[in-house]
Amino acid sequence: MAMSDELRSIQEMVERGVREASSLEELEQLRISATGKKGSLTAIMRSMGKLAPEERPAMGQLANSVRSGVEEAIARRKAELSRAALEARIQADAVDVTLPGRRLSQGTQHLISQIREEIEDIFVGLGYTVEDGPYVETTYYNFTALNAPEDHPSRSAKDTFYVEDRAPEGKATHVLGESDVLLRTQTSGVQVHVMEEKEPPIYMICPGTVFRPDTADANHLPQFTQVEGLVVDEGITFGDLKGTLDYFCREIFGKDRATRYRPHFFPFTEPSCEVDVSCGVCHGKGCRFCKNTGWLEILGCGMVDPNVFSYVGINPEKYSGFAFGIGVERVAALRYDLPDLRMLMTGDMRFLRQF
Amino acid sequence: MRVSYEWLKSMVDVPEDPQSLVDEFVRTGTEVESVERLGSDITGVVTSQVLEKVPHPDSDHMFVCKMDVGEHNVDEGGRPVPLQVVCGAQNFSQGDKTVTALVGATLPGGITIKKGKLRGIESRGMNCSSRELGLDGDHAGIMILPPETPVGLEFTDYAGTSDTVIDCEITPNRPDCLSMLGMAREVAAMLDEDVHVDLPAIKDESAAHGRTEDLVDVRIEDDRLCPRYTARVVRNVKIGPSPEWLARRIVAAGSRPINNVVDVTNYVMYLTGQPLHAFDLGKLSERDGRRHIVVRAARDGETITTLDGQRRALTDDMVVITDDGKTPVALAGVMGGLDSEIDETSVDVLLESASFEPGHISRASRNLDLMSEASIRYERQVDPMGCAMVSDIAAALFEECCAAEVCEGMVDACPVEPEPVELTLRPQRVRGLCGAPITTEFMAGRLSRLGCEVTRGAGEDEALAVRVPSNRPDLSREIDLVEEVLRLWGEGDVRPTLPAARNHAGGLRPDQRLLRKIGSTLRAAGLSETSTYNFADPRDLERLGMPGVGRGVPVRILRPLVADQSEMRRDLLPGLLRSVAYNKDHGVKNVQLYELGRVFFGHEHASQPEEPSYVAAVLSGAWDDDQWSSKPAGLDFFDAKGVVETLLDALRITKVRFRVAERESYPWLQPGRAAEVLAQGELLGWVGNVHPNALANFDLEDDVVAFELSVAALMRLAQRELPFEDVPTLPGVSIDLALVVDEELPFEQVLQRIRSAGGKLLADVRLFDVYRDERRVGAGKKSLAFSLTYRAEGRTLTSEEVERAHSKLVGKVTKSTGGEVRG
Repeated sequence: MAMSDELRSIQEMVERGVREASSLEELEQLRISATGKKGSLTAIMRSMGKLAPEERPAMGQLANSVRSGVEEAIARRKAELSRAALEARIQADAVDVTLPGRRLSQGTQHLISQIREEIEDIFVGLGYTVEDGPYVETTYYNFTALNAPEDHPSRSAKDTFYVEDRAPEGKATHVLGESDVLLRTQTSGVQVHVMEEKEPPIYMICPGTVFRPDTADANHLPQFTQVEGLVVDEGITFGDLKGTLDYFCREIFGKDRATRYRPHFFPFTEPSCEVDVSCGVCHGKGCRFCKNTGWLEILGCGMVDPNVFSYVGINPEKYSGFAFGIGVERVAALRYDLPDLRMLMTGDMRFLRQF
Repeated sequence: MRVSYEWLKSMVDVPEDPQSLVDEFVRTGTEVESVERLGSDITGVVTSQVLEKVPHPDSDHMFVCKMDVGEHNVDEGGRPVPLQVVCGAQNFSQGDKTVTALVGATLPGGITIKKGKLRGIESRGMNCSSRELGLDGDHAGIMILPPETPVGLEFTDYAGTSDTVIDCEITPNRPDCLSMLGMAREVAAMLDEDVHVDLPAIKDESAAHGRTEDLVDVRIEDDRLCPRYTARVVRNVKIGPSPEWLARRIVAAGSRPINNVVDVTNYVMYLTGQPLHAFDLGKLSERDGRRHIVVRAARDGETITTLDGQRRALTDDMVVITDDGKTPVALAGVMGGLDSEIDETSVDVLLESASFEPGHISRASRNLDLMSEASIRYERQVDPMGCAMVSDIAAALFEECCAAEVCEGMVDACPVEPEPVELTLRPQRVRGLCGAPITTEFMAGRLSRLGCEVTRGAGEDEALAVRVPSNRPDLSREIDLVEEVLRLWGEGDVRPTLPAARNHAGGLRPDQRLLRKIGSTLRAAGLSETSTYNFADPRDLERLGMPGVGRGVPVRILRPLVADQSEMRRDLLPGLLRSVAYNKDHGVKNVQLYELGRVFFGHEHASQPEEPSYVAAVLSGAWDDDQWSSKPAGLDFFDAKGVVETLLDALRITKVRFRVAERESYPWLQPGRAAEVLAQGELLGWVGNVHPNALANFDLEDDVVAFELSVAALMRLAQRELPFEDVPTLPGVSIDLALVVDEELPFEQVLQRIRSAGGKLLADVRLFDVYRDERRVGAGKKSLAFSLTYRAEGRTLTSEEVERAHSKLVGKVTKSTGGEVRG
């Protein structure tokens, strides 16, 4: 057989093999049989030297074109088969993506501390510090230094938990069930401690647990959480109080909520007021949620009474200030329309995991 | 304070619609509890006349009446015809004007009138008594109206009972607002209107009726208890029902009419805010022809039966009015005594108009749990300057309503003459504090409306001299006036601004950020935060088996709400165990909770306890329910320990050790599954399984693992940063080593031996298996499988070096642990 015929037959055979190859392995075998070290085409190329010199150029050209044709066909088929193999693997790998994912079980933060941190962050953003003090407080810090008169009803054992005073000089008071030591009914005592220790300017909040003898029911807890705030600086005005609390209310309840300031009385502040925020359910029109008033009461506040300044040695002619107190449970109840505050204290995982 | 709109209208011009006044109240700081329309529950009741009255044929006390009710009963032709009503009252005659409820009428309390038969005779309505109409206590018969009363008027229109009562909540600083006169002033200032009041005046005060000072003397033993006591005597009162207008006003104010004398004292109290008390003069003992009122402190153990019939034991902190210094006849400022009560036999009346020290009244009221209209007013302070004037008003009304004869003069014991209060108000100060452009004219004008005498200088900034009325004890400083001005001007109109906060920086302190980090790490580790009561049951520690040693003495609450919350907690675990029990009781099996909170260690000789903070956690059940992709195992000791390790890592606390918690020191933990947590030699807390006995005492059956760490210790040991170690660039060589050692030998010791034997080349040791098998490993033995990584700094280790180091390590470790290498 002439060499040219041999080349063509190899070419045909390889091309047929390429067409028929169904796997990468078969194709590799084919490649080795043709262009491998011991392959048929390789053998022909090696025998090229035996040809007459005048035949060599034409035959060389032919052999080269056959070889490149064969290589090209193999490469093309190889790419096809690789694609198919990958496709097959991907097919086999497919999963039901609607099956639940593998999750790490993360815990949740208690609703009250979430809101408390949110409030802290709002005021930290305004440049406030966060302070705390003892839960078991003296009547001086809880009442007297806050300008609460000696016989103010809030001091009665109906409104305050008094505890046994173990100090040797601890004296009995005139009223049964009272002593000079109590569970703080408000965090305001912290403000007095801070004013005693620090020179103005003071921009602080004191979040924390407080206690009042209200039997636990859907709307009351004997232990709850307050965030009180205090600002003492030169030139502080009632307008500053409003600007601060307006900012706070919008941050915590939403930009679209309005505020209302109603004058009120607190021993600690003068002038004092209560702040309402417009009802988020009816937007002020009146509904069940806001008891048809269109407003929800959320905090008490006022300008620091000069008497309070004099208790802590701050000059009320030089400095003025404002103070406010927010009930964190109240904010939580408003935000989630909680049916029963006692849920906050049971540790029920089904409740806690929702927040 | 219940404010009758009709009554208020008689003193100051108010808008027709009560709601607009309510809005003004709210705007200026008077909280409105409710707005109640009186008489709105009465319909179908009309004025009428008795045309005919004949005895009921089958009754000895009822009458069959023909009533003229005007247009309310007509025949087919639309002409009024009389209505037949059977009536059991005895107090009326033919021709009398009265009140008839028609068929279909509703009366207070929701009673509906139906057509009926009374002993066989048809009755098409009911003649009404005043009590049936909700007016007063006189139930003796039907209401008899004046002869000139037109017939057929709706009763609510006729009687003006269609009043509106605005129930205002009065803040403790405003005793003046517990009176209609005070409210009128307040409303006048709100609306910038005048107050016009005609106070009744005594017509015939005469020595002919006697002179009060001849009949009574008054002695105040301690003027700190009672700054003023006035007494008046009126004689020959005709006890009976009060006139309609007066009864209506006190009903609107919230009292029940009793008799004209008592009603007058109540009426005047509602009008002026000054509580009055009427004694039956005849019931007080007489000496030298006189009654001797002595105001003194009560004596411990003394008793009095108050008007409500209760016998009260008194203490020396209370004030009493006594009959000649001996028997208490009234608990001053709170309630009168039953023995000197006015009743239908009373003839002469001693009227007390006095002022008492608020604190004593407030405490007496609190200690006796007895609140009255008087005590509410006295504890907020009653104006001593007003006593005499108010006494005169009452005397005038005794004349008018009880036909009383007013004795000449009064006895006025007034040991303390209060100084009038003069204040200076700087307009610029007002504007500066409020941040609002309030004019000086506004300030002067509204303060005058409130009853202040204001003297104003020429300039806008010139200070105002303000003389405060004596019934405003809350106005004693400039700031009190600022408040009045601002609330009347409108807090809502002040422009909001933010403080400049110059020279101030805020933010969370490092310890506060750490506290947050503790929480976020525990949550990331899978625990949910909870909150439990800071109160505790006194038996909590005992139930837990936790010794009280080192936890101070309990902080006891004097008046706890419930027995199981009668002291402050000394540990967080009991509360958390209760939460676990709550979950289990409600079908929640998997519980992972932590709490960051305080405990209270009282001192034997100090008022206040220590209040250290702890972080504690309880784990029970599994991390999660079984999933298709994972089947979480039950939570055990190593889950809790893992959380602790994660936390300490996050806080960059180094040199952490877990040491066996000895059974004697940790009796609430299960021995063998409990460890102390230490770092740098300091005890941080414990981790372990709660002892089954303790669990049983908290009604728990399933295992609970827990830990409790001192927050203070965590804070002390936490580090802001640890030194940076460069990331290795060269690969290490890992060799596994399975070491069989005695069961008793703790892992910690094996690890130490390996570390010290490994020298500098040993970069990492990881325990990847613990294996026990009697046959393969041997009884009382365990196989610990380690992966050891060797690496040198700055160069690649040769295999010879690694082999040398490893065989040296194996030799040393087997020797020091007594273990052998498992093939």
